[in-house]
Amino acid sequence: MAHTLTTCTFCGVGCGIYLESQGNRITGVYPSMSHPTNRGRICVRGWNVHEVASSPDRLKNPLLRKNGHFEEVTWEEAYAFIARRMHEIKVRYGPDALGFYNSPRCSNEESYLLQKLARAVIGTNNLEHGTGVYCNNSVDTLCEMLGVPASTNPISDLLDSGVIVVDGVDLGMQLPTIGGWIIRAKLQGAKVIVIDARRQRLAETADFHLQLRPGYRVALYGAMAKVIVDRGLMNLPFIKAHCENYEDFLRDIQAFDLVSVAENCGVPAEDIERAAIAYATAPSAAILYSTGVAARGKGSIRALVNLALLTGNLGKPGSGIYALTEHNNLQGVCDVGLLPDRLPGYGRVEDAKCRKRMESLWGVPLPTKPGLGAQEALDNKQKKLKSIWLLRYDPVNTAVFCNAAETLAEMELVVVQHLFMTSTAEFAHVVLPTVAFGEEEVTFTSTDRRIQLARKVIEPPGGPRPAWQQLTQMANALGVSWKYADSASIMAEITQVVPFYSGATYDNLGREYGRPWPCTTEHPLGTPRLFEDMPPQQRFKFGTVPKPFASFGPTPDYPVAVVFGSSLYYWHQNVLVKHSETLKRELRVLLLDYPEGFVEVNDEDARTLGIRDGARIRLVAPHGASTTTARVTPEVRSGTIYVPFFVKEVMRQITGEGAFEAVSRTKPLFVRLEKI
Amino acid sequence: MRARLVLQEDVLKIVDLLRRDHEVVAPFYGRGRDTFFDTVTDENLDRVQIHIPNPYYPPKRYVLPHIEQLFRIRKADGSYEIQSTYDQTKRAIFGIRSCDLAGIYHLDRFYLGREFRDPYYARRRANLFLVNVVCTDTQVDINDECYCLCTDTGPAAKAHFDLQLMDLGKGEFLAVAGSPAGEALFSAPFFRKATEEHVERRRRILSEVRHRFKTTTGWFSATVRYISQEKVLEKTWEAIGSRCLECGGCTYVCPACTCFTVTDRPTGPNEFERVRLWDACALYGFTRMAGGHNPRKAVHDRRNRRFFRKLAHYFIQRELSMACVGCGRCAEVCHGDVGMPSTIEMIRRATTEYLAHESAAH
Amino acid sequence: MNPQPTDNIYLPKLARLERVVDEIDEVRTFYWQFLDPADQQAFKNFKPGQFAQVSIFGAGEFPASLPPSPTESEVFFTVRRVGRATEALHKLKPGDIFGVRGPYGNGFPMEAYAGRNLIFVAGGIGLIPLRSCIVYALAHREKFGKIQIFYGAKTPRELMYRPLLHEWEKAGGFECHLTVDRSENGWQGHTGVVGSLFRKPGIEVPTTNTTAFVCGPPVMFRFVIKDLLDMGLKDTDIVSTLERYMKCGVGKCGHCCIGVAYVCMDGPVFTYQQIKKLGEDI
Repeated sequence: MAHTLTTCTFCGVGCGIYLESQGNRITGVYPSMSHPTNRGRICVRGWNVHEVASSPDRLKNPLLRKNGHFEEVTWEEAYAFIARRMHEIKVRYGPDALGFYNSPRCSNEESYLLQKLARAVIGTNNLEHGTGVYCNNSVDTLCEMLGVPASTNPISDLLDSGVIVVDGVDLGMQLPTIGGWIIRAKLQGAKVIVIDARRQRLAETADFHLQLRPGYRVALYGAMAKVIVDRGLMNLPFIKAHCENYEDFLRDIQAFDLVSVAENCGVPAEDIERAAIAYATAPSAAILYSTGVAARGKGSIRALVNLALLTGNLGKPGSGIYALTEHNNLQGVCDVGLLPDRLPGYGRVEDAKCRKRMESLWGVPLPTKPGLGAQEALDNKQKKLKSIWLLRYDPVNTAVFCNAAETLAEMELVVVQHLFMTSTAEFAHVVLPTVAFGEEEVTFTSTDRRIQLARKVIEPPGGPRPAWQQLTQMANALGVSWKYADSASIMAEITQVVPFYSGATYDNLGREYGRPWPCTTEHPLGTPRLFEDMPPQQRFKFGTVPKPFASFGPTPDYPVAVVFGSSLYYWHQNVLVKHSETLKRELRVLLLDYPEGFVEVNDEDARTLGIRDGARIRLVAPHGASTTTARVTPEVRSGTIYVPFFVKEVMRQITGEGAFEAVSRTKPLFVRLEKI
Repeated sequence: MRARLVLQEDVLKIVDLLRRDHEVVAPFYGRGRDTFFDTVTDENLDRVQIHIPNPYYPPKRYVLPHIEQLFRIRKADGSYEIQSTYDQTKRAIFGIRSCDLAGIYHLDRFYLGREFRDPYYARRRANLFLVNVVCTDTQVDINDECYCLCTDTGPAAKAHFDLQLMDLGKGEFLAVAGSPAGEALFSAPFFRKATEEHVERRRRILSEVRHRFKTTTGWFSATVRYISQEKVLEKTWEAIGSRCLECGGCTYVCPACTCFTVTDRPTGPNEFERVRLWDACALYGFTRMAGGHNPRKAVHDRRNRRFFRKLAHYFIQRELSMACVGCGRCAEVCHGDVGMPSTIEMIRRATTEYLAHESAAH
Repeated sequence: MNPQPTDNIYLPKLARLERVVDEIDEVRTFYWQFLDPADQQAFKNFKPGQFAQVSIFGAGEFPASLPPSPTESEVFFTVRRVGRATEALHKLKPGDIFGVRGPYGNGFPMEAYAGRNLIFVAGGIGLIPLRSCIVYALAHREKFGKIQIFYGAKTPRELMYRPLLHEWEKAGGFECHLTVDRSENGWQGHTGVVGSLFRKPGIEVPTTNTTAFVCGPPVMFRFVIKDLLDMGLKDTDIVSTLERYMKCGVGKCGHCCIGVAYVCMDGPVFTYQQIKKLGEDI
């Protein structure tokens, strides 16, 4: 029997758990009481991690498509084939005809090597993680305003918050451990403000539920900012000492008149006012939002960071901005450069100085222009891409913003690295089997920047290889000499390349509970809280805020706003869920109740329309219409409907051209509901 | 009492003695405060701890594993071959606490009693040797969440162990046999004579240890009464439910929780295994029927269910033991602080107040 | 062949599917026999109202009520396709092997009703569990007083066991009254909810020394109970079978426990008085 402290890889919290293993089977799991993030608590998903036994469906050996069907081949043959085809495509079309995309569930090591393969071996910046269309606004905005694209405070700080603002993320469902901290903070007197069109779990007991109409976040935050300024509640010493663009900001928010904002966004003016005052007068206040599938435009992120700057809520315990990552390694894959326009460590690809530094570290010249992101690649409108490499990414199933199947079918080379034969793998020319959680020693970076080890506790079945090892061998097959004997040596290189990872080693990561970055020689134990010692030269920037739109709103023909999002039981199609009886049951209960998918309709609206739960309804939009089933619930705001991301057909049918905009929520969509 | 004296330096010899024909598990430190039961080997024997925070992963897993194979099924010649897979390893738990021991007793009553006897449980249990260690170290053995005094299950178990060890200080341990198997160990030379003085020291230490506990009077009886008489208001359950994030943790860590689910999984081209796994009534899907109907949709209905099963008088009578052993794990594992102690308190307060108000009104 | 210790309460015994009959949409009847005649012999002592656990290996196990009466020669299940395991059952062909454990549950105490009037009230697929005690009662006709069957479905297409219903309608010695909520395809019979049959002219429902067996969807159940109580029957005169999510069938897994009762052991047959006492939602 062995008990190994490791990190749960289900979501961005990164709880400490022990895996019990015996005879090459994982036989049990339980939380670590000492881990600073979860302190003895995990969620239902963590409790069922041990159920993922070695399924006979797992891919064992590389598969090569020959004469229309897959054949098992040796690794050498697979690599040789890929190398030959990549070379041919590169020669014929240029390096930018190849793209490399992965999932935000990939480890730091394999992600780092993927982008290095793309940039240093092939010579392209066509790379990204699959959720880029959702989260990159957050990366850019936080870099611009705070200088750091990540959460500023540790999760455990929430217990010290006087006010906690939860913006649009259903913590109870997606990141329960964080939801728990907030419940306990509330028991100690913290006030909770939930900003969400949906009446989610935490909203039920929140001090304020600002149940706004979709698309009005910027207005809401703007009005809150104006309330704070009008009452002189801003933190002037902090602003004077550290913030730029304050004058512009002051001028911009004058347009956010409380009464008209309240009317437009559907939240009572006194609630907005009281929430703003609570936030501004708390000794310490935090704002949480998600960078997950609930995508948002830059405007709303700027608006909430502005609030933190306005009130000086950075650097002290209980304060901060939490850019929550729902996928377990979204933070890490961005840190190590899975972005088409940024290098590992976030230096811009177009910045010659950043490029030069990377070129000297890697010893090769690097491509100078940003590449195609995942959405553009899988859309491939201009047919620029001829080859796609997909690491643990299943866009045919999960990418709602494009018809991945169509695009992949046209590719000259598709390489898929995965555990199982996914829908995407059906389109591959080569499928390379990877190992699973617990079968390799790699690192992941949590949503509060904690770089943690996920340990190897069992041997993989004969056949599959770690993805980082495959990438190493692939580079070698392409004629480049990469020598990574183990994953620790990859981390050793990452620490040279990514400045804020520089102090991390597998050794010190393994000694306590990982290290929150920046982990450097100045901060060898890591930095749980950013900006704690706020040096006088520390600078932040207020962000420009777009004018509040008069109304892009509902019309008599299309009166209902559509909210796209991760509905209650969507756990991102995590492969773990499919192989756990309990999680499958919990996830699927909603899906089983509505086997053809559903959209969620407010109960009062349903009554007015004359429909009951389970009724078939039609959604009619300017660009298209869709027929689906109604789930009637009071959780949804009257005047809105909620379309879960996994109901892809509905989304495609009604969004038409506006797909990307609807998804990133800069312009909400409006529909008409019709009873069938 | 069949008692003997064991010197501190001889205590681990008991482990060695048991290792001759048992797989022995004992408590070890992990990282920080984390502790766990693990198999004792030559290599780790010197790291076995007597005084140590109670391992979080409950030892009920040795009689009811987190995941357990029930049988292997193989397709053959148009039919099936089924092979029950029992675990009949002789196992000893060295260092099980009195609260966890009460949990095992509760599981015994449940799995071995009534109309049906669980054969998997029965075999594991029959091959289990239990060495109870009494909690005496107030810094390390007992923590703020412990409340075995309220459930009358500790700190020294009165029965259900094969052997009980208690640290008397001055380098001496009192060993008490609770079964013939336990008594059989006494033939080993390092079990010495115990005197009346040792027994007196035991009594004194136990009465002193009581002061360490945060709660000594439980409000269990009031809450048992309220729940059994269905006097608890719906809105009290709603308040409790609003803090529950449906993680299932309270059930998984509870030494006295017994529910499981069963599933078939493929293990090869023509083979399956039927396994059972810990399940939790906290989860939405626990009562959902195939047609879609779910009698316990709301989270507060599920909380209601849990505490009814734990505290209703009917069940306490049926099993002659309460399904709560005062170990405190549910208080530690809960995201929203609605483990047993907090819930008991919430129910007691709200219901007493309501009833007082009601009787004042009349 | 199962050379297993006989004490494994979770171990299914192998059975062979003999033939399949389509009933209504998504519902089929599966005639089967244990491979081992000794198992078959032991099983035949089941009581009306009991159930068995059916295993489709690899897909799962589910509880199925036993619609045959122990007085009949063949054993079968009537199962609706709703989930993974029942779907797998529906894919089986005659000759295929599956697993059965049972019989479980308390069953209807038919002997205790000797000398009483029996009324059977069923809605939709609620006839499946009641079929067992109806056939049993008719096979022991002389033991009971007046026997009436009231059965309804949403449409004529959804009436279960049509051939048997025809027999019952034509037979003498007891009454069988059918109804549908919505008539179709030349339905000549009564239209209306099952409860409306009680008030149909010419029908007299005895209200003393009477046991009413009620089984059907929740809404129907509630209305019929109300009707029966209004007519003067007592809580203890009304019996039903409760449906709950069951996993083990032997009172260990906890899924079917409601209030203080385990449906798989203390039920699935309960009187209405007991159901009310259980305290939770049905």
